[in-house]
Amino acid sequence: MKRANVLSEFGALFALALLFIINVVTRGANFLQVENLRNLISQDAAVGVIAVGMTLVIIAGGIDLSVGSMTAMCGAVAILLLNKLTAFGAGVNGAILLAAVGAIVCGALAGLFNGLVISYGRVAPFVVTLGGLAGFRSIALVLGSGGEIRSQVSGLQDFGFGGIPIPFVKNAGGGPVLFYWSAVIFIGIALLAGFVLNKTRFGRYVIAVGANPRASEYSAINIQTVRLAVYTVLGGFVGLASVLVAARMNSVGTGSVGLYYELDAIAAVVIGGTSLRGGKGRIWGTVVGVLLLTLISNMITAYHIDTNWQGLVRGIVILVAVLIQRGRKENDSF
Amino acid sequence: MRALDDVSVSFEAGEIHGVVGENGAGKSTLMKILGGVQHATSGVIKLDGRPIILNGVRDALRRGIAMIHQELNLVDELTVAENVFLGREATKSGMLDTAKMVEATEAALELLHASFPASEKVGRLSIAGKQLVEIAKAIAVEASILIMDEPTAVLSEPEAVSLFAMIGRLKDRGTTVLYISHRLTEVCEICDRITVLRDGSRIATIDAHGASPSELARLMVGRPIQDFYPAKTQCPTGKLVFELRGFCGVSFSVHRGEILGLAGLVGAGRTELAESIIGARPSGKGELYLDGQLCRIRNPKDAMKLGIAYVSEDRKRLGLHVTLGVVQNISLANLRAYGNVVLNSQKERESARAWEQELDIRAGDFEGPIMNVSGGNQQKIAIAKWLETKPKVLILDEPTRGVDVGAKREMYRLIQRLAHEGMACIVISSELPEIIGLCHRTIIMRDGRVAGELSNDAMSEEAVMHLAAGVEAA
Repeated sequence: MKRANVLSEFGALFALALLFIINVVTRGANFLQVENLRNLISQDAAVGVIAVGMTLVIIAGGIDLSVGSMTAMCGAVAILLLNKLTAFGAGVNGAILLAAVGAIVCGALAGLFNGLVISYGRVAPFVVTLGGLAGFRSIALVLGSGGEIRSQVSGLQDFGFGGIPIPFVKNAGGGPVLFYWSAVIFIGIALLAGFVLNKTRFGRYVIAVGANPRASEYSAINIQTVRLAVYTVLGGFVGLASVLVAARMNSVGTGSVGLYYELDAIAAVVIGGTSLRGGKGRIWGTVVGVLLLTLISNMITAYHIDTNWQGLVRGIVILVAVLIQRGRKENDSF
Repeated sequence: MRALDDVSVSFEAGEIHGVVGENGAGKSTLMKILGGVQHATSGVIKLDGRPIILNGVRDALRRGIAMIHQELNLVDELTVAENVFLGREATKSGMLDTAKMVEATEAALELLHASFPASEKVGRLSIAGKQLVEIAKAIAVEASILIMDEPTAVLSEPEAVSLFAMIGRLKDRGTTVLYISHRLTEVCEICDRITVLRDGSRIATIDAHGASPSELARLMVGRPIQDFYPAKTQCPTGKLVFELRGFCGVSFSVHRGEILGLAGLVGAGRTELAESIIGARPSGKGELYLDGQLCRIRNPKDAMKLGIAYVSEDRKRLGLHVTLGVVQNISLANLRAYGNVVLNSQKERESARAWEQELDIRAGDFEGPIMNVSGGNQQKIAIAKWLETKPKVLILDEPTRGVDVGAKREMYRLIQRLAHEGMACIVISSELPEIIGLCHRTIIMRDGRVAGELSNDAMSEEAVMHLAAGVEAA
């Protein structure tokens, strides 16, 4: 492999490693605390879950701008459902599970709707999901009367801050340090999506449809079904992500939850080396992209930099990532 | 990799100079260097005796070297005049000088005997018309050297004949034409001198007068090519496999083991018919029978399940996934055979290896994208993809387009073998020698309808042409 290829193949990973080393050198033990490292993975787990789904959509040649608004809508549905169920006397754990399923179904239906209009209505994904960006937020606001919807079940937050105890590690008070469920779910979803993309028939179709939709149609692939499926899967992931957010906050601010998630998710996908032109991409890259973005915001806090700079830094990281990975000149369309 | 090795060749002013060679012989590389697309790693280009350095296509154009690629570079949404002046628009005090551009374009079009005005949208022109626009571009910059890369590959015979006449007129004006083609007969007919390349080296430059296609072919491959088309087998008259009754206004049938030619001019509706058969475009009225059963095909998936395969003429856009590897391309239409959910990649790879052996596919790196694999090998990959599905009916659309001489011959043998094994083959081709040399029977189409049918004995270039062009036989 040539040097330029290695850089474009593993550029994001190198960047993450570099930042990691900078942190280790300058912050030492503070940075390497198990709690801090755990937070890196779990902090943006919701965006991570969405970004993994977004990777599939982008590889299939699409894009989804509606995921942030969809998160608010699904989160609102989840908490309303949870409150209703417990009001009717359902058990806490059962109610949380049902509310989560409700949020996932809600997201999958919203994704299915996007997919239907895109594949059968033949409208560009950008436009359809731009409509979703406005529409789903509006539904969330209506559900929450423009404000916050609070969970009346404290058990929800127990889930949000629950997890698996990390062996041999104690916190300052001598208690166990938990590996949060959100991080477990993020990693699980990423592994699942990676398997689906690289090892299954559906995954191959996703790549083929993104690489050349007409040749795929001529190769006896039902391209409408494939497109429909990736948007639906992403929708389901968004529903799951909304539960992670709601469990953390014990509430859903219908105007604020999920704001700019679409941009963060797409940024992570692009940083990870997935081509926006479709047909080529990788899940692990997206996971690296999410971690990179989290680490950057983490550093801005740690070094007491004015947080107003955060957007600029992210913007630069995205541009540099794309410039490194745009590949050889001959493959460019212009 | 070295595509060209120490080639020296000179072109004289006002000559038509043919450049021939198998795919990979270095024709395209040589022309790209001369056209300013690519830099030579060593050596010099001399123009009118003076050494020059070409910095890109624009620089070449400025020096009077124009290149017409196989894939035309035109903007469909713009008019002929706008395309001709694209990138070097004439202006008058900062505004576009449309009148001047139209006038200059009309002049060029007149020279070319074009039948369309400068104000026509390019998207509405036939491929032959688009090619004229490219040539008009060259005339408008007063190019003294015109490089043409396989201009007749996309033309029907009459269109090609008028192109040759036009090249003759350009020659009379003193233009040098470098003419690359796989069609050796036409190279012998229209060129003054011919340069033969093989494996990146110049083998010979010969006088075209008195040269024969077989001599050229021998120089190209380095050995004589006997019986270019394999001997025909007996016309099968057995079981009918495939039949159209008024399907898109077309009726014909194909027997088991038969090779049926589908001839006609470009635009006669042959590709459209094939795409309707596999359900890639709406078919309207009519009936399609497979093994005597009436079938309804809504999409290519239905066609595949029924055992109808279509190998498209447009390999890069419709036939293959050029960004994917050999294995992924070959298995794609038959992916269910490798697992309903999880794919058995071991089995997938073994099967691709088997096809690689069987069809002698030379794709180099088995994993990498097939983007840069030669035309002949891409075509074999496309065919392997469909043979995977074990079709009863195989429709091949221009199976030898952009394929070199050696691979063409292999292709004919393959088609004949498949037919011999019982497959019903429909071969769409614009190359008459191919139709006549290969097919048991030929249907000739004109304007989307069947214009006639010729049996093996009745097939001749004249007979096919008369039917295709709608002219009564004299």
